[in-house]
Amino acid sequence: MIWEVFRQEKPGDYHRHVGNVHAPDREMAKLFAQIQHARRMQTNSLWVVPQSEVGEVDAEDATFGGRTDKSYRWAMTYNDIDASFAEEVADSEAEQREAARTRREQLESEGEV
Amino acid sequence: MNGGDDADAPAAASLDRDDLTPEGQVALEALLFRLAADEFVHAERLTEWQIFAPTIESDLALANVAQDEFGHARLWYDLLRELGYSEEECIWRRAPDDWTHATLVERPFADDGWGDAVVRTYLYDVAERIRLEALVDTSYAPLADRVGKALAEEEYHREHALSWLERLASDDEARERLQAALDDLFPHALSLWYPGEHETEIRAAGLRRESLASMREEWLDTVVPTLEGYGLVVPEPDEIDRPAARGRDGSHTDAWVDLYEAFTATHREVDFDRPARLRGEEA
Repeated sequence: MIWEVFRQEKPGDYHRHVGNVHAPDREMAKLFAQIQHARRMQTNSLWVVPQSEVGEVDAEDATFGGRTDKSYRWAMTYNDIDASFAEEVADSEAEQREAARTRREQLESEGEV
Repeated sequence: MNGGDDADAPAAASLDRDDLTPEGQVALEALLFRLAADEFVHAERLTEWQIFAPTIESDLALANVAQDEFGHARLWYDLLRELGYSEEECIWRRAPDDWTHATLVERPFADDGWGDAVVRTYLYDVAERIRLEALVDTSYAPLADRVGKALAEEEYHREHALSWLERLASDDEARERLQAALDDLFPHALSLWYPGEHETEIRAAGLRRESLASMREEWLDTVVPTLEGYGLVVPEPDEIDRPAARGRDGSHTDAWVDLYEAFTATHREVDFDRPARLRGEEA
């Protein structure tokens, strides 16, 4: 029986697929996975999952992302525009930055008290 | 669990190298050689499984156990090095009848001996936990520093051996093989607890806190019910014909000579001035 192995490096990270192990049951899979997939890598946690329990949909089953031209989703057109003509936009952004900075400083000083 | 006979012994981690009495140092060396030789020879045997274990996963797992045990041997041999021994004197050119490991770890595996490996590692790893725990509050500070490291790795070893035991024991044919291995190995496993020449001084100096007799008792209380729980028949420890080879006094089974010749052969052939050290624990 094949068990897919997922390793988490640090608490809070995603468990990422790192390979698999052959094992008769969950306990043995956990034992083997420790050696095979965590012995030499920084590891906080391992998952073992029976391969047969993994649901899959692949490129033959689905047209991932559709088939029509969706390049409009990428707003590349605006990347190289000089925005200096829109002073009010620039001013507004500056204000928001300033407000965020003040808020952060206030929080920090509260933290010190 | 202090016995009365070591109540006056030096306190935990109170001794450093310069505090040892001459007798204390001899006893410490005997204790360390015993520990190190057990680990080294056990690991040496286990490496024979590489590429032959039943699956790639079990191959890697057992190789990993062997590697850990070599690492533990390194912990103890490094302490001997601090006491003035060279690695050659500890291993490569140490006379075979100066080795004081238990005969359990030198026994060759039967041809279909995966059950043998499982029973052997189980018997050994339970014993190792017990004897490391008896060293946690040793009087010798450099030893106390190292016991925790080894203990932390032993848990995996026991879990690995137990998991295999449980699964093999659930199959009739496999259980018969386990039984055959147990019948072969159990008398030799008892040699884990035979005292050596310096046992009295080891206790008096507080190097180890428990007597071998009480550790043996604890070991039996663990392994006997467990093995019986898996449907195995454990030989009655006090009615066994003790093997002529005692292990702890330097007498060994014939298999030891062959194993010793094999693992020292390269060293003799290459004839290094000093054996290469790949990686040392420079604690």
